[in-house]
Amino acid sequence: MHLIADVLDEELRDSRGEHAGRIDGIVLELRPGRPPRVAYLEVSPITLLARFSHRLAAWYARYDAKLGAGRGVPFRIPWSRVTRQGPILEMDIDVRATPINALDDWLSRTIVRRIPGG
Amino acid sequence: MKNKAIELSLGIVTSVGGFLEIGSITTAAQAGAGYGYQLAWSIVLGTLCIAFLVEMSGRFAACSGETIPDAMRERFGANFFAITLVIFLGVSLIVLAAEMGGIAAALNMAVGLPIPVWALPVALLAWSLLWRGTFGFIENGVSLLGLVTIAFAVGAAKLHPSYHELMAGMLPSLPSHERSHYWFVAVSVLGASITPSLYYFYSSGAIEDKWDVSYVPVNRFIAAIGMGFGGFLSVAVLVLGAIVFYPRHIDVQRYQQLPELLNGIFGHAGFWLVVASLGIACLGATLEITLALAYTIAQGFGWTWGEDREPRTNARFSLTYTLLVAAATIFVLAGIDPLQLTQIGMALTAASLPVGVFPFLILMNDPEYLGEHTNGPFGNTVVMLISALAAVLAIVSIPLQIIGG
Repeated sequence: MHLIADVLDEELRDSRGEHAGRIDGIVLELRPGRPPRVAYLEVSPITLLARFSHRLAAWYARYDAKLGAGRGVPFRIPWSRVTRQGPILEMDIDVRATPINALDDWLSRTIVRRIPGG
Repeated sequence: MKNKAIELSLGIVTSVGGFLEIGSITTAAQAGAGYGYQLAWSIVLGTLCIAFLVEMSGRFAACSGETIPDAMRERFGANFFAITLVIFLGVSLIVLAAEMGGIAAALNMAVGLPIPVWALPVALLAWSLLWRGTFGFIENGVSLLGLVTIAFAVGAAKLHPSYHELMAGMLPSLPSHERSHYWFVAVSVLGASITPSLYYFYSSGAIEDKWDVSYVPVNRFIAAIGMGFGGFLSVAVLVLGAIVFYPRHIDVQRYQQLPELLNGIFGHAGFWLVVASLGIACLGATLEITLALAYTIAQGFGWTWGEDREPRTNARFSLTYTLLVAAATIFVLAGIDPLQLTQIGMALTAASLPVGVFPFLILMNDPEYLGEHTNGPFGNTVVMLISALAAVLAIVSIPLQIIGG
């Protein structure tokens, strides 16, 4: 498996097959005298923004932290909990138990549900 | 089988109904008014290119189960995706504003109040249809109404055009006067025909309609017949411009001139046919472009998306199209002439074509996505040559047109 071609930016599904975002970053663990290994995958706008500008990512992270527990820092999924199903990566975690969709939930709660037909 | 036959018929009808919009109507009318039949070739080339692109985008979605923005980010990475997104967003926002301005212009002609007065009612109408409507409603309902644009073909036939001269115009030729303007109009026609939002929308629609590889033949027919007949309607508008405006040396510089295309043929009904065609075609295009942009953003960033879902279940997606409609409304509210916006939007679309089209062609040749259904050399060559030609002409003619006023 090629990390950049087959993992980074790929679509992620949860344990129910629901959409759980894209792989925005890969965390490698450096081990003395041994090759590095993949420790985590990150799904977070903070990680994505950091690929363009660290300052922008830090600025956004301050607001992201207000979305609830687990936000304000990139959400990490242990590599051991991810498998590849064809072209899609799947984690054995329910996305509802993660902060991945916290922004969607917050927008839904505070804006969309208050608009008729929302 | 029966379902596929119904989808095929509906797909063709909606492609025809959805083809004409403000860009294709005004640029074809301007081409006919300025150069008679001489610029018919630009519609032929544009239609050929968009037919190939629509077919490819449908085949891509049917074979891979993914949309173009999905694959763009996966294959080329977030940085490249961000560049294409910014260009697509900037150009399409101008085109979206032009389409909303077109609805406002139709209402202005029908009722008489100034165009900026209609900006907010038009925005509210478009947003309500997106907020409350389903994908099927938008895809089929508005496009079916768009069949009123067939009035242009009936009108053109009634005027008995010179088919010999029209056929001669299908072959590219050099202009005899106003060279920079000639190429600028040609570029605008190409930009109006080859709109990226059309095939982005089509590709996402194929996913919304749950297409699989069995839809490849259906998709081919829809793209070929739907786009072909849509191009035929554009040629009809050019013919009307060539017969009604060209002999009298009248340039199309205002929307209010468009009803003259059918006035002489259908009397006062001609006025209402043009107003209805403009209003409905622009409404359909407004919904398609807004959704295409929202789809692209949501798919690229990995958000939940779908026009058939309740807005509260994909808040980022539904608020994105809400903001897009609001942003485009500002242009109309500011009183910027929709015709100028259309010309700028179409020329910029042509200039930016290779940025989106060339990476798409790379995807279309990747067996990882398409298996045995990758592009053939003919489709690759046609799309690459026409897109490159449109971009080069745009880059050369836009500055010349600006310098020449």
